[in-house]
Amino acid sequence: MKSSGIYAIADVGSGLFVTRRIRAHPQNRLRPRFAMIAKLGKNVSDAFGNFLYATGFLFNLVKESALFLRRRQVGFRVLVMQLLFTAVEAMGIIALISLGLGAVIVVEGISILPKFGQGKLIYTILLIVITRELGPLLTAFVIIARSGTAIATELGNMVISHEIEAYVSVGINPISYLAVPRFLGVTLSMVLLTIYFNFFGLFGSYVVTQFINPIQLQDYFHNLLGAMSGADIASSLIKALVFGVIISFTAIYQGFKVRVSSTEIPQVAIKAVGQGFVLCILADAVITLIYYV
Amino acid sequence: MDSLIELQSVTVHSQEHISLDEVSVAFPANRSTVIMGPSGSGKSMLLKVAAAIIPPDNGRVLMHGKNLQRFSQKDLLQFRRSSGFMFQDAALWENKTIFENLALPIQLHFPRRSGEEIERRIRELLERMNLLDSLELRPAALSEGERKIVSFLRAIVLDPEILFLDEPTTSIDHQLLEKMLTMIKTLNKGGCTIIAVTHDAHLTAMIANHLVVLKDGRVLESAATAEVRRSANREVIEILSQVLSEAATYDTDILDLLEE
Repeated sequence: MKSSGIYAIADVGSGLFVTRRIRAHPQNRLRPRFAMIAKLGKNVSDAFGNFLYATGFLFNLVKESALFLRRRQVGFRVLVMQLLFTAVEAMGIIALISLGLGAVIVVEGISILPKFGQGKLIYTILLIVITRELGPLLTAFVIIARSGTAIATELGNMVISHEIEAYVSVGINPISYLAVPRFLGVTLSMVLLTIYFNFFGLFGSYVVTQFINPIQLQDYFHNLLGAMSGADIASSLIKALVFGVIISFTAIYQGFKVRVSSTEIPQVAIKAVGQGFVLCILADAVITLIYYV
Repeated sequence: MDSLIELQSVTVHSQEHISLDEVSVAFPANRSTVIMGPSGSGKSMLLKVAAAIIPPDNGRVLMHGKNLQRFSQKDLLQFRRSSGFMFQDAALWENKTIFENLALPIQLHFPRRSGEEIERRIRELLERMNLLDSLELRPAALSEGERKIVSFLRAIVLDPEILFLDEPTTSIDHQLLEKMLTMIKTLNKGGCTIIAVTHDAHLTAMIANHLVVLKDGRVLESAATAEVRRSANREVIEILSQVLSEAATYDTDILDLLEE
């Protein structure tokens, strides 16, 4: 990337960061054995270059996010729209999934655990499965499927139709105006929806309990809160925050990677989804390991 | 003659080919420069590099002798405020209304300007182009010609000192075209530096003080229009004749046309 701010943006918008690396390669003139090695070397070199570029892009995004309130040209409206689309419009499906999950855990738990004299363990299981593990992860999957694809597609279309260049031409920094509100909107939505998921998951399990083994609301939440620790809440919120950063960054980065053709757009949307899933699961494993080790 | 923007040994790669190859060219201040060349010769890329929208891979872009790539954020913002760019494909922001498309540059550069002032300015511009009814429409609801007009209005909404035009007259009907040409001429007379890429012989004849002829990413000729007219370079003559298709249509000597 170039040193000057808007030049760096133009660099991203026009896709020159990719085009500069594409040159005729001498491997074509090599014997097959050496050509294979040359190709492998080029792939490694490209992957390393992409990694460095992605790291620089993330740094730029985080830096601009920190300056969000100070920027004159910040897109508050874009942020509000992103929160509306990612958080508010996803509330229905998140409620349905979390209620269903809570219900399944209660039905399974109440059927099996008392046989081993561990009926009370249902509260710990509820907290581990809903709050610490599946709450953040399923919320992340819903956001990847809805917002990750939408962001990558929208930004990719904007690159193709030269809208990004139009922003640059009038003096608007596309990172501040387009990327940062989406980054903050998705990350904030991820945290809020995870809290919402936890609430509905735990509340849903109470509703199901009433059909199987009626219990006072006060007793249910007393037992639940008794089994809950600060670490459970912290783990859930940290995961939500990390997943939010991963999903939004992956989608924005892929969207800006589109260069010239509309056929690239479905490709980057698929990559945004695939990379989002993989990175979230890896991050989940790492955070869980840190929690237990 | 003072040059406002100067490109020195600029090279730009795009995809697998070289769009601009060691291009050195100067655009004089307060004059109108027309860039010509066959399709794919790098005209639009040259315009975008000169407007600091796309950075060169090699070489420098100078504005009043200062390297644009080393401009501070403040200086770059000042440059944006004093320049306007009309895109070949309009490049309107699809998720905004026509009003919002035109208002955004004003809101950005003049945040203290009241809503009424902004609306008055936008209404005045749209009225001149008979597009007032489109104020609350999205770009998708407009025809190609209307989109280009809005793109032109967005480029001039801040009364720029430098105006970059990429194929401004294509797809526009005769009536709107005349209005647009009048506005360009008025800006030109007011001292606005115009740098245009066009195949339009009429526009070229009307505004061009300076011509740049490109082929395969290289500058074949860059001089005052009268000098280009006297050029003995057959390649230049051939390109001008090919590019300005109207000349061929009317069987007119292209170089006479430029002298209109």
